[in-house]
Amino acid sequence: MRILCAACLVTLSAVLISADHRQGQQPVNPAGAAALEFHNRVQAYLAIHHAAEGKVPNLGNTSDPAKISEREAALGLAIQALRPGAKAGDVFAPEEQPYLIKIVRDDFAKRSAKARKALIQELPKNLKVDVNMVYPTSLPLETFPGRLLRLLPDLPPELEYRIVGHHLLLRDVKANLIVDIIRDVVPTIPS
Amino acid sequence: MRFRSFHIAALVIAITVVSYAASDVRPPASKDSVRFAVIGDSGTGDRAEYEVARQLSDSAQVFPFEFVIMLGDNIYGSERPQDFQKKFELPYKTLLDLNIPFYAALGNHDDPNQRYYKPFNMGGQRFYSFQRTDTRFFVLDSNYMDKDQQAWLEKELSNSTSKWKIAYFHHPLYSSGATHGSEVDLRTIVEPLFIKYGVSVVFAGHEHFYERIKPQKGIAYFTSGGAAKLRDGDLQNTGLTAKGFDTEQSFMLVELDGDVMHFQTLSRRGARVDAGDVHRVIREGTQ
Repeated sequence: MRILCAACLVTLSAVLISADHRQGQQPVNPAGAAALEFHNRVQAYLAIHHAAEGKVPNLGNTSDPAKISEREAALGLAIQALRPGAKAGDVFAPEEQPYLIKIVRDDFAKRSAKARKALIQELPKNLKVDVNMVYPTSLPLETFPGRLLRLLPDLPPELEYRIVGHHLLLRDVKANLIVDIIRDVVPTIPS
Repeated sequence: MRFRSFHIAALVIAITVVSYAASDVRPPASKDSVRFAVIGDSGTGDRAEYEVARQLSDSAQVFPFEFVIMLGDNIYGSERPQDFQKKFELPYKTLLDLNIPFYAALGNHDDPNQRYYKPFNMGGQRFYSFQRTDTRFFVLDSNYMDKDQQAWLEKELSNSTSKWKIAYFHHPLYSSGATHGSEVDLRTIVEPLFIKYGVSVVFAGHEHFYERIKPQKGIAYFTSGGAAKLRDGDLQNTGLTAKGFDTEQSFMLVELDGDVMHFQTLSRRGARVDAGDVHRVIREGTQ
């Protein structure tokens, strides 16, 4: 009986070890891995954002608009200083980009030309945007289509998606800073 | 020279007299009602904004309103401290001096950090709600209707047992504007919640004109985005319009009186261009 139990334990251990081994080599769903990578990069950016927030005064409700604009600018500068070599694709992980592009293009394909135009009509043509750049304060923010927003990965409140021209932007809301860009995502509107 | 000065002075007096005489503001129907004014797309800092603001201040003498709701595009262009002064604090100085509060929604021309500007009473939030006696106002950020905001809206609406539920935000769910038109995307997300939880009235701006939409699914929709900017002739024949006005800037005065909402819409020169009543929606969850 004792021998039988020992044999069972050995067999069970072998099965578990084998399962563990197989798990280590298990193929990963590429979409899931890409989403996880994007999530991790967003979290890494948030750590920078919070570190920068620690360097600027807190902002509460104020009747002095100067305090709002000064704080926004200071936060932007602090973040820029913490990611001096920031470039496109730092947060929009390259492996995630094909999925994001497909989501945006599929969504736009379902919209009429008029509806597509309405989403990008408020901004001047050829508006130049780049990573780590302050979003032009005198220009409006194009409204982000709600149904498309439901399809894209969730973001923390510090960040938001925006469309500028044909580009998909990641924008830091409190710092008014362009965090990342995927260029030429939005298809050209047929005339 | 003296002759010319006399003529200018006479002209100013004449314009002032005409302006006051043309004001068609109706007094409130009840002394215990909730009364407020509605302005949209106001923050230009130009002459039109100042003239509408003066009409608004003057109308408060006949129709004393307790607060003003702002439908977004509160500050156009740059948002330096002097812009807040020129585009908000100076034109509405009379009302601000009377401690009449403003409750702002964000428009697509507004930096979301306006939520920290105390005179806009947003409490540091992009979307928020506030209460006035038996009325709950739900103020949305229609620029960015993310899942958090949707969840918040549903929770706030379901928790509210107020008699009147009124929502306002920048983008109109229904519009006959040639420039923008209806925000169908947004409509598919928020309108089912409005219906489910008994929202009676919705105000929006964005379009630089006035439009009262024929009631949609039992909800009264108003677009009032002409408190400074004007898109002359932009209203198209869509079949949606109960009343439209796109030849002059405008604002609204609203009174909640029991189960009835009385509204009047005034032009930049004080002419009443629309008026009427809306009866509140009585659904499960409302008193």
